[in-house]
Amino acid sequence: MKSPLLTKDPYNIIITGVGGQGNVMASRVLANMLVRRGCKVTIGETFGMSQRGGSVMSHLRVSATTVWSPQIPKRGADLIVAIEPVEALRVLADYGNPAVKVLVNMRPIYPVGVITGESDYPEPEKIRRAVTALSAAACFLDATEEAINLGNPILGNIIMIGAVEGLGVLPVNREVFETVIREGMPASRIEANLRAFDIGAAAVAGNC
Amino acid sequence: MELGKVMQQVKERDAAPAEKGEGLGGQKELEEMVLKAGLCTGCGACVNICPYQASYRDKTVTLHSCDLTRGRCYDFCPRTPADLGALQRKLYDESDITPELGAMRGFFITRATDTAIRRQSQHGGTVTALITLALREGLIDAAVLAGEGEGLLPQAVTVSDPETAGRLGKSRFVVSPTVAEFNRAIRTECRQIGVVATPCQALALAKMRTQSVTATEGGIEKLQLVIGLFCGWALSWRDLSTVLKEKMDLASITGMDIPPSRYHTLEVYTRGETIRISLDEINLCVRESCHSCGDMTAEFSDLSVGSARLPEGWETARQWNQVIVRTERGLDLLELARRRGILEFKEVPGGNLEKLKAASLNKKRVAATRPSVGNGSGDSYRQAG
Amino acid sequence: MSIDNEHKEGAEVLFMGNEAIARGALEAGVRVAAGYPGTPSSEIIETLSRSAKEGSLYVEWSTNEKVAMEVAAAASFAGLRSMCVMKQNGVNVASDFLLHLTGSGTRGGMILVTCDDPGALSSVNEGESRHFARLMEIPLLEPADFQEAKEMTRWAFTLSEEIRNIVMVRSVTRMSHASGNVVLGPLPPAGGTAEFLCDGPISDPEQGPIISAPVAEKHRLQQDKVRKAVSLFEKSLFNTYTGPKKPELLVITSSACRLYTREAVSMLAAEDRVGILKLGTTWPIPPALVKRYLTATEKILIVEEVLPFLEDQVKILAAEQVRETGIKTFFGKNDGTLPTTGELNPDLVAEAIGRILGIEPKTIPAAYGEKLRMLAGLIPRREQTFCPGCPHRASYWAIREALQRDGRGGFVCGDIGCYAMACLFPAAGFYTCKTLHAMGSGIGLASGFGKLGSFGLEQPVIAVCGDSTFYHAAIPALINAIHQDANVIFIALDNSGTAMTGFQSHPGIDINAMGNASPMVDIAALCKAMGAPVVVEDPFALKETRETLNSLMEGGGGLKVLILKQSCALSPEKKGKKRYLMQVDELLCKGDACGCNRLCTRIFRCPGLLWDRNKGKAQIDEVICAGCGVCAGICPAEAIRCEEAPVS
Ligand SMILES: Cc1cc2nc3c(=O)[nH]c(=O)nc-3n(C[C@H](O)[C@H](O)[C@H](O)COP(=O)(O)OP(=O)(O)OC[C@H]3O[C@@H](n4cnc5c(N)ncnc54)[C@H](O)[C@@H]3O)c2cc1C
Ligand code: SF4
Ligand code: SF4
Repeated sequence: MKSPLLTKDPYNIIITGVGGQGNVMASRVLANMLVRRGCKVTIGETFGMSQRGGSVMSHLRVSATTVWSPQIPKRGADLIVAIEPVEALRVLADYGNPAVKVLVNMRPIYPVGVITGESDYPEPEKIRRAVTALSAAACFLDATEEAINLGNPILGNIIMIGAVEGLGVLPVNREVFETVIREGMPASRIEANLRAFDIGAAAVAGNC
Repeated sequence: MELGKVMQQVKERDAAPAEKGEGLGGQKELEEMVLKAGLCTGCGACVNICPYQASYRDKTVTLHSCDLTRGRCYDFCPRTPADLGALQRKLYDESDITPELGAMRGFFITRATDTAIRRQSQHGGTVTALITLALREGLIDAAVLAGEGEGLLPQAVTVSDPETAGRLGKSRFVVSPTVAEFNRAIRTECRQIGVVATPCQALALAKMRTQSVTATEGGIEKLQLVIGLFCGWALSWRDLSTVLKEKMDLASITGMDIPPSRYHTLEVYTRGETIRISLDEINLCVRESCHSCGDMTAEFSDLSVGSARLPEGWETARQWNQVIVRTERGLDLLELARRRGILEFKEVPGGNLEKLKAASLNKKRVAATRPSVGNGSGDSYRQAG
Repeated sequence: MSIDNEHKEGAEVLFMGNEAIARGALEAGVRVAAGYPGTPSSEIIETLSRSAKEGSLYVEWSTNEKVAMEVAAAASFAGLRSMCVMKQNGVNVASDFLLHLTGSGTRGGMILVTCDDPGALSSVNEGESRHFARLMEIPLLEPADFQEAKEMTRWAFTLSEEIRNIVMVRSVTRMSHASGNVVLGPLPPAGGTAEFLCDGPISDPEQGPIISAPVAEKHRLQQDKVRKAVSLFEKSLFNTYTGPKKPELLVITSSACRLYTREAVSMLAAEDRVGILKLGTTWPIPPALVKRYLTATEKILIVEEVLPFLEDQVKILAAEQVRETGIKTFFGKNDGTLPTTGELNPDLVAEAIGRILGIEPKTIPAAYGEKLRMLAGLIPRREQTFCPGCPHRASYWAIREALQRDGRGGFVCGDIGCYAMACLFPAAGFYTCKTLHAMGSGIGLASGFGKLGSFGLEQPVIAVCGDSTFYHAAIPALINAIHQDANVIFIALDNSGTAMTGFQSHPGIDINAMGNASPMVDIAALCKAMGAPVVVEDPFALKETRETLNSLMEGGGGLKVLILKQSCALSPEKKGKKRYLMQVDELLCKGDACGCNRLCTRIFRCPGLLWDRNKGKAQIDEVICAGCGVCAGICPAEAIRCEEAPVS
């Protein structure tokens, strides 16, 4: 396999969201796509409690040559994929830097504290402004809404993977996506996943 | 101690908390000033208006915490500070108000004419006779009473059928969450409600009546009649059960009474025999909060009923009641009962009223020495002081 | 995904550390694997169970770690390769057997895989299992990347057979739950017959009975085995060095810390100043090898998680060899260069190296730092809580109300499982859970509390315990409580599965780890047989559960069992299926007025409920709500309505 083309080595991606949003699956799918394209990928993540409504973060290190630390150093993200808007802010607070690109699904999942009225959830406009100010490029999607239209809100994570492809910063494409999901998924679900992928890719292409 | 001195003490004790802001508080204040302070009467005024307080056995408990700074629980509770003198003046004719016994239009000795009622009643059956009369005559369409529950616990119930009401006589010396049941009843179909209430419960109902409609969510206008019970104290369910369990089978108990003070006993009637227990032992079972209560005659009722004192002795007296009538409505009911022959009347022996006043004053005196926030009737004596 | 069939030798795949360990075991020809679920270790047995087949690989979820180790040891005694898998605290449970096993020795290659959790990312302790290797005198291996996790596991079996003793392989969360590229090796053919040869003399390790006595002799033999392991470690390819010949600073490290260190050195661009000695064989450390590198430098930093384990060994070695190696300066845990609690990361290591070498870490442009301030106060905390539709929320609600009604200050002794969240985040359990320790300790503590009545303790004592925890370690304590007539209510929160770690089977379920039907052990029947009165309730029936609890609290002394049965919201039969369609009637909802004050969103706190500030009304979040219908039962205004959902 020939060495893949990377704009930076290692290229650091953080996929973030809330437990139950399919975050872990998204990172696995993206990483598998990259491995198929000849990359060495290291994913760092924690499970367990995170399933229960907590913030979930997956760190992906993409390299042409070697394994990297499963934890990205602070301020070291190249791409942040947030399946939940305030999670984008939470990750930016630690891993943001002037060159980072950010993809955000704008559907909020309210923390218990917000539900109970103990804390406030920021206005969407404020989130957009902060993300835009703290990144080199930002793109906001209504992935959950699109996914509900497709029949299942969980497809929001695949829309976000499509969006990553649409950005054009990684050596991945629809074909390799299809190969990867065909391996791990019943055939009946492939179609919806491919559509989700396309929606994401189209939403970002040329916008970000 | 003379009256003036007692009044002064009551005033001093109640002054500080009252100045803190009357009627302003929520669950937090209720917890601190009443529940944790051991002053809760178990009346249930704070129960069934929200999901946070509940009655369990003879106690009122907080299930979860509420952070509102102003709540009806605090407003309604008979143990939160309130200007009771003003409350009394608002609800009663000022000229009827006496310092020892509250508003008084008349003082009678009565009993139910119907012996069947008397047999099922504590003393003369006056309360049961009046309640069944009110139901039968349509003065009220529902009565909140304390029937017999499980294992010494009363069960607060709402009844609309006079027959059933007739079977719910007798005193239960463990408190009943009567006001909680009232709170539930006002949300039902019934339109005119009568309540048989101990002094603390009568006070809670009086506090509700003086709140604005929005504060009570409506419904309080359904309260048409309050028959008060004289009350020396009530007993803690857990403590009483423990004491009685050692001496008898709880299931065999058919009733209890406290004969005049010189006997110094609690009589427990069981199927087989009457068991007498020294008040020294029973006093240890008295609810903490009752020691701080200065109302013996349910001063916030339409009429109040207690046991009688007669020259013929206790065996005769226990068949009769003493009645203080406080309102027009109370008087009308009593006169109706007289006209219908529901109640028999007996001439009040000379000195009875004075003895009652002395007894009532004695309760106020004891209460005055106790630390308390809102004493049962503290303020009604202030004006006399 | 099964890791044996689809992936052929030579393929390069993305594996989670735990999958790599499982694959290593398969490549070694493991025949028996037993474990008890516990994050971050569970995926090893799970992965293996998918490759399990009659006669070639037997996999089981055992009732606890000690049993798992015994089951694996039996296979080894019968000549098969075997492994047992557990998380760090599981080793404590297994340690009694381990102490004797290390004395008796093994036959077929046997390994113990433990997954530690530095930083307690999904544990209630960050206890270390490495120390057991020293305590029990057995070799310890620690992989530092995914490929190595596979290779090392494979080799561990070989080593075990060389020395005829159990070998410990230790992973950490950041290794077990991280993923990376792994190139696959060949799988051996299936087969192997089991026979326990035991008729020989007691002194015959191959044919005699297997026991740890005579102790002096067996202990001496055991230490010979360790010495043999050390001689192999001296030449092991799992110990590597990268960096200059004479580094300014030598970092000695192992496991995930090696990756942090390499990252840190790269962040500081200090590749030509820092040497990294990565040890894969960490107990005992190979003395000659380490001595060689000590000699080449003056300053040594030891990077490890969590306590100074390597550091102690290196320092002892340096003291013993000081004449030859000269006096060194050591940095690590003892001098505070690195923290002795929590996990490490590249930033912490970079900071430490930077401080020693005087390198300023790179900083972000000031303007960006300025902009970051706009995030202040913008990010709400995301507290963990029970899932929407979780039976535990309902159970704790009933427990709370029952305790409050009882009014004697009763409390709950917590245990390990999702329901432990009630201890970690008190609001999630409505402030009922007051203790949390080891598996099964809830009922053990309760048994003790329940005997303090004669000293005036009048508070009702409740212990909660999940179904899996019940079988694991609660039974002896339960028997104790019954026998001592302790005043306790034991609540089994039976949600039909090891929910916390992902629905592994356990003795209460009629299917085993290999997916075969298996006899189940019924909690209620067991408790009854032990002589305890048993009541079963559905926690979703809040009122009934509460009433039952109150009557149990009233009903005098002795241990009583309440089983709260309702399956987990994430269980396969429930996940994604709503029983009810929920709706809030805005006209009825009292909102924050006196009479409700948002009981559902403020106190009950199911994530499926929302508080609409503008309207001042509660709402159902349809995406999140699991449709369990429980909240309808708590609303004082009967504003939350449930309607049977159409069956899809
Ligand atoms: C706790 C308590 C203490 C009392 N202490 C005294 C005292 O010190 N001196 C005195 O003269 N009289 C006292 N009484 C009143 C007395 O026992 C009789 O209730 C009263 O004389 C009326 O008699 P009766 O035959 O008319 O009652 P009945 O016709 O038998 O009617 C009694 C009514 O009281 C209601 N009731 C019973 N128990 C309770 C309760 N716990 N809370 C609220 N309502 C209840 C019943 O529902 C019934 O309607 C006390 C009563 C109670 C409940
Ligand atoms: S006295 Fe009555 S209103 Fe006050 S706290 Fe007790 S039960 Fe509630
Ligand atoms: S029905 Fe109510 S309690 Fe159940 S998941 Fe939905 S919001 Fe939560």
